[in-house]
Amino acid sequence: MNRRFLAMTGAAAVITSLAACGGGDGGGSDTEGILEGASITVGSKDFDEQLILGHISRLALENAGADVTDEINTGGTDVARAALTSGNIDTYWEYNGTAWISFFQEEDPIPDRIEQYEVVRDRDLEENQLHWLEPAQFNNTYALAYQADAAEDLGSPESLSDLADIIANDPDLATLCVESEFSARNDGLPGMEEAYGYEFPAGNVTELDTAIVYSATADRNPCNFGEVFTSDGRVSALDLVVLEDDLGFFPLYNPSPVFTDEVYSEYGEQLDEIFNPIAEALTQEAMTELNERVSVDLEQPQDVAEDWMSENGFI
Amino acid sequence: MTDAPVVASGTGPLKVERASDRGSVLSWVGMPIFLAVVFTGTYLWVQSQELGGVEQRVLTRAQLTSRTIQHLELTAVSTLIVILIAIPLGVLLTRPFARSLVPVVLAVANIGQGIPSLGLLAIIFVAFGQLGFTPVVLGLVAYSTLPILRNTMVGLQQVDPSLIKASRGMGMSSLAILLRVELPLAVPVMIAGIRTALIINVGTATLATFFGAGGLGYIVYNGITLNRTTVLITGVVLVSGLALVVDYLAGVVGRLLAPRGL
Repeated sequence: MNRRFLAMTGAAAVITSLAACGGGDGGGSDTEGILEGASITVGSKDFDEQLILGHISRLALENAGADVTDEINTGGTDVARAALTSGNIDTYWEYNGTAWISFFQEEDPIPDRIEQYEVVRDRDLEENQLHWLEPAQFNNTYALAYQADAAEDLGSPESLSDLADIIANDPDLATLCVESEFSARNDGLPGMEEAYGYEFPAGNVTELDTAIVYSATADRNPCNFGEVFTSDGRVSALDLVVLEDDLGFFPLYNPSPVFTDEVYSEYGEQLDEIFNPIAEALTQEAMTELNERVSVDLEQPQDVAEDWMSENGFI
Repeated sequence: MTDAPVVASGTGPLKVERASDRGSVLSWVGMPIFLAVVFTGTYLWVQSQELGGVEQRVLTRAQLTSRTIQHLELTAVSTLIVILIAIPLGVLLTRPFARSLVPVVLAVANIGQGIPSLGLLAIIFVAFGQLGFTPVVLGLVAYSTLPILRNTMVGLQQVDPSLIKASRGMGMSSLAILLRVELPLAVPVMIAGIRTALIINVGTATLATFFGAGGLGYIVYNGITLNRTTVLITGVVLVSGLALVVDYLAGVVGRLLAPRGL
């Protein structure tokens, strides 16, 4: 909690310097200047990964010569989405799973990640004239994890299937902390329990705020197991062991930069050219590392984003 | 707030029940009828909706019942604790010997209510390292002490001094004056404070779901994050309906306790 608050306030307090990138001799990328004259407002949701992604978008667009307005840290999912559909911001990164379950109110995910992306992309374009660019390599999906020190007590489970034993033989150890939405979604706990053929004992599941799930799992109080996001930096920082989803139940949700029609219809080609290589380079390892630097080492998201962009030759 | 006897400024008891209200039929049945209409209307509306997996999971009878009970337990326990703390404290602070403590105690109570409720609960969680029922009740207590404390003090201070003098002239002891003159006359204002605290607690208890204590916030929050309007509206109707029910019941108690002849 503390760490999260610190990181957030730090992020909110920073005033972005609008880098005017004029001199073309800096050894930057080949997308430099292709958005000269464009005016684009960048937003993001309000947690660490989103702040980093927002700054990556901002840096990429600035590098291409666009006049960027920084609305990063716009708000929660619904606020960011409303800002995009109303045109208050022109782009932010959205996870196709969120669009599928929350915006389109679907119940069951599509198992194939490419197909899932394509369906969301086509539907959002048709219904809302919003443009989903190529998805990033990394996925941010659900997993269950436990504290490494608890391994001995719990019998060192390695996969979600191993939980069946614990639930059957030692139900008191099978305590689980989740966000409330995880306990209500088809692609969350109910579906997982159905797929694996067990159920956590009634009263053993505690609903908590997302940030608290991590610390509650790390402290083993009140839960031995916690629901985490795979790309979250706190997983490794708190020494959590992620259980393998051996039946492949949890769908893989990838984020894409989503643009309004107003901007995309004019600069679509350039935007694809700028963002496709970035999405390609944002692998699971890369994103986890970036998240860890912000969530755990308390570095500023814009610094972390800038380092990564220049290391990869995007700016 | 520096002049010790003047504590009333800005408190404004919301609604003070008087014995003379007892007769009005509409004031007795108006609220129950209104609530029945709202609850029935919501129930019928939900029934008429096409419900997906999320709705069917969150809006089951068992789920709604257990969440409402959790919510009521949080509200009842925290309000009871506040009453037990704030009324004796309010009585103490209005005795002449405790005057100098008034600004200090009120400042602490003000801080309790001044901190945003989510922040207060987070601070308690960090400080105690505990989750669940107890820390959330602690938070609710800290958050709702002020209205009952203030109204107890204001209620006692507004008792006509000539009545107290007369009682003393009749040979009553200080304790007898407190129990038989001051407190009965202060009851309407004190009940108004308790009603305020109850409503604060019903509302704030929706945050309990973030700290492992359940309650109706679970339904409201799922409605928001998963963008399920049926779930959201059901949760909101239940929370606000519960606040009105609790307030109504406290009002009834207040009327029954209000001294006759006022």
